[in-house]
Amino acid sequence: MSDPEWVAFLGTVPLLEGLSEAELAELAHIMRPRTLAEGEVLWHEGQHARSMVLIVDGNVSVAKRLPGDRAVEVAGLGPREALGEIPLVDGGEHSATVRATEATTVLALSRPDFAALVSRRHPSAFALKRRVATVATQRLRQTFGSLAASLGEEACGDSGAAPGQTPEKLELCGPPDSAYIRRMATFRDVDALALWGFLTAGRYAFCPRGHVLAAEGASPSACYLTINGAVEKVLIRGDRRIRVELAGPGQTFGYEGLIDGLNSPVTAITRERSLLLVLTEESFARLFGGDTDVSHVFLDVINRNLAASLRQAMRPQARLAVRA
Amino acid sequence: MMNTFLNLAGFGMAAWQPGSIRADEPFVYRTTSLPDFDPNLNALAQKLEPTCLLAHVRGVTHGNREGVGPANLHPFRFPGAKVALAHNGHLREFPRMRYDLVAHVAPELAERIQGTTDSEWIYALVLSMLDDPYGAPELDELTHATACALRVLRDVRERRGIDTSSPVNLFLTTGEALVATRFSFDYGWYPADNMMLETDLPYVSLWYTVGGRYEGSDGESRMVGDDGEHSLLIASEPLTVDISTWLEVPEYSVIAARRTPDGLDYEMLDLDV
Repeated sequence: MSDPEWVAFLGTVPLLEGLSEAELAELAHIMRPRTLAEGEVLWHEGQHARSMVLIVDGNVSVAKRLPGDRAVEVAGLGPREALGEIPLVDGGEHSATVRATEATTVLALSRPDFAALVSRRHPSAFALKRRVATVATQRLRQTFGSLAASLGEEACGDSGAAPGQTPEKLELCGPPDSAYIRRMATFRDVDALALWGFLTAGRYAFCPRGHVLAAEGASPSACYLTINGAVEKVLIRGDRRIRVELAGPGQTFGYEGLIDGLNSPVTAITRERSLLLVLTEESFARLFGGDTDVSHVFLDVINRNLAASLRQAMRPQARLAVRA
Repeated sequence: MMNTFLNLAGFGMAAWQPGSIRADEPFVYRTTSLPDFDPNLNALAQKLEPTCLLAHVRGVTHGNREGVGPANLHPFRFPGAKVALAHNGHLREFPRMRYDLVAHVAPELAERIQGTTDSEWIYALVLSMLDDPYGAPELDELTHATACALRVLRDVRERRGIDTSSPVNLFLTTGEALVATRFSFDYGWYPADNMMLETDLPYVSLWYTVGGRYEGSDGESRMVGDDGEHSLLIASEPLTVDISTWLEVPEYSVIAARRTPDGLDYEMLDLDV
């Protein structure tokens, strides 16, 4: 294919929806085609991620290993679908093994090339990060939906939890010691000025234990970063529940509906008394949609959290009884 | 170096093996030497074939305050008691709690505490919550006693104004029933002078794998077999490079398991104390 043909192809890829022609051309310039024979493994589960790929033609199977030396195919993907886009931004490991089920051509974007785009603050890097966040949020909703169904689905919004508290009613308090924040893994390598911009973009609030901050099915009103304490994200159906994530220090929650405009997919409840950074809808929109160094930090924090949430949600989840 | 956490304070294990003399009594081995370089442990491991094993490698913070010696080695099991306990974690400011716990520990059990660890006090506290501290409790009673002991610890901490992160991952077993907690008091709150913050920030981990049997093949061990669940392995971290057959125990929860004639029963319970 010629460059214009690659650009035209990229324009049909759902992951890249909304990117301008100039942004697509920049991506086409640095992406490399690769062919796979039938049965060839693109990557193994647990392997360190080096690139993301877009399927040009052909098909692949996606399989996860299970306890007891077993494996299960979790998806089959074909043309215009993306693989490995989440590890591309968070630098983690591949969560499943991908194998070509027929002769397949993919277009690969390597992590070093993506990092170069980011370091140049190229608009395509910001746009791709936002699209990855949107796609990851969709997947997270699908995974949460499957988990909720396994508990016995009830009417949307009937999660059994109390309504979430609006951020205006939280008990505001002073900011934490910045030296403490800088020692969190989330912020260890972040530029000091950009971190300061992020940490001053919202207000700080203290919440007692057992406080509902977001209710499943309700309209989201804020995104939160846990500074101290812990907040659990749960799916509740009657007396059954699955904790899909525990947001401890340095982790965010409440952002899904702010990314895709839908209602909250989970209920967020403080498991410990917690000190939180509260980013209102307006602050979130400014950080998520911006192209500054602060937005760069924020998009990374959100994408890393989404990647961790997805990995956690895709693992077999324990059903917690409440007898102890 | 003064604040480095080192797993160099010794090793201990209790192993229940049917067919051995007094089979309801475990084989117990404890040593302050390093397990990796212990030829006795290596030789024992070649011979033992237990149906339940509780093993612990002790770590301490480098410094002058920690006591390293035989009396502080896990698992703890008072003479005559059927329950053994190992602990991964630490109760911050434990010296401020110790004497408040005396009121909750049966006097004859308190007298048996020989070491200086918080873990041995937790052990005595759990035994004190049993109908018969020297009996072999059923799984439900052992689970309940563990939760009760954690509630006592929470109350004492509140009374003393102790409100910083203190992980309490406990492993208790009689050889037939097993309880393992993944729990922390005040997770996410740390003292201002915490020099080991990076180590303390993540929730202390606990993993398990379940299946037919755990065996070695191709140079690596893993849980294999799909003919029912007969084996359960719980560890602070996955024991293999490939972690795809390991599952993470949720935070604030307890695994309760027991051996049955057909294999094993186990369930995961939310631990809201």
